[in-house]
Amino acid sequence: MKKVSFFVFAVAASLLLALTGCGKDKEVSTTGKEEESNGKTLRIVTDANYAPFEFLEGDKVVGFDIDFITAVAKEAGYEPKVESVGWDPIFVEIESKRADVAVSAITVNDKRKQTYDFSVPYFLSTNKILVPEKSDIKSGKDLKGKVIAVQTGTTGQAAVEKLIGENNKNIKKFENNNLAIQELLQKGAAAVVADNTVVEEYVKNNPDQKLKVVEDSSAFNEEFYGLMFPKGSELKGDFDKAVNAIYENGKYAEIYKEWFGIEPDVETLKAQQ
Amino acid sequence: MSFRWDIIFEYAPFLLKGTLLTIGLSISSILIGTFLGLLIGLGKIMRNKVLASPFYFYVTVFRGTPLLVQIFLIHFGIVPLFTGETNAVAAGVIALSLNAAAYIAEIFRAGIQSIDKGQMEGSRSLGMTHTQTMIHVVLPQAFKRMIPPLGNEFIVLLKDSSLLCVIAAPELMYWGKAMGSQYFKVWEPYLACAFIYLFLTLILSFVLNRLERRLKTE
Repeated sequence: MKKVSFFVFAVAASLLLALTGCGKDKEVSTTGKEEESNGKTLRIVTDANYAPFEFLEGDKVVGFDIDFITAVAKEAGYEPKVESVGWDPIFVEIESKRADVAVSAITVNDKRKQTYDFSVPYFLSTNKILVPEKSDIKSGKDLKGKVIAVQTGTTGQAAVEKLIGENNKNIKKFENNNLAIQELLQKGAAAVVADNTVVEEYVKNNPDQKLKVVEDSSAFNEEFYGLMFPKGSELKGDFDKAVNAIYENGKYAEIYKEWFGIEPDVETLKAQQ
Repeated sequence: MSFRWDIIFEYAPFLLKGTLLTIGLSISSILIGTFLGLLIGLGKIMRNKVLASPFYFYVTVFRGTPLLVQIFLIHFGIVPLFTGETNAVAAGVIALSLNAAAYIAEIFRAGIQSIDKGQMEGSRSLGMTHTQTMIHVVLPQAFKRMIPPLGNEFIVLLKDSSLLCVIAAPELMYWGKAMGSQYFKVWEPYLACAFIYLFLTLILSFVLNRLERRLKTE
């Protein structure tokens, strides 16, 4: 019982944080932007553990996805209220329709399409392999027989499973990519497979760790991220239109450049629609 | 939302493997934790305050920080320091044993201190040494009183082993989470895990009950 109370405390503390977060959101919406968007407030869920897409800065959720969804929601005439709920809970919140939209670098795939609706793609990504500089892993094939750390439930996990088999004991599944990378640094794994932006960002920010990124476009497919809605959501139409609108007016490119420092390939994204 | 039995059956072999590891982790941590706990508990009741202080420190640290934090520190910090690489199972046993030891030390201390002073005085006047008295007179009596709180601690430990899923120790909860995130389901994996944990704790309470009855003096 003694130990359980730590968790009760942690839960209470995070609830408190969440509440104060909500308070601030409301303040913003009542002070400045009343006349601009008198549309309905949408509950948007994310897993703020995936820099630079969504992460916590103090108690605020920030990142590319957050700026993107804010711009799209405004364009569509809604008031966004972003809340970080964790990765697995996103799917529960959306399936049970307690949240309106999920944005969390969610890859659109057929398996997920059975249960959820997705917007038009808004981001292009591939999985890449993160290894120590001296590693002999040169491609996806070299991963066979090696211990690989992934974030559980991600397309990185799916990509590795396609290569070496589902629930292979050499796949170590972690709650998030930070832990997976930490496992690699402490030599508990030979490689991490995750979205290119995540591993590239990590290498860029931590040059002293002596890691490099291995690309293998034959082993890993291109992936597209989409906004996720409950099945049959009426919002999808509005949001698809809004996404295209910010492609056209340059707002998308502006946000993209701000977070990734390069121009986005809008044409490839549009070609997927 | 429909309950999918098929994914539980699909994952049954993994859940079984996970359950076996959970049992292994729990039993070894209970044994190591009890042994360390006894030493630390005895250390804490030493009259010499200087000698006793490291044991006070130990209990304060391990009881005063969350087990989850200890698991991360031991997995990513302590274990790689010695072996050069991470090992989730080793880190799991170490974290659970060290954490349980702090609580068990307090159980031992309370048990020993609950034995009337007259027992010690009587044995000493019969010519037994302090150590002999401890082993033959005080500890056997104290142990009987310690069974219920120890049982509590063992059950907490068994359930807390589920925290090891965060460092990818392939125990029961790890497979539960893997199943959940593969199919984006929550009820099937978590209810299946809850049921198995309940089953394990029921067995443990049964064993402890039997032990308590056997040691009854009346």
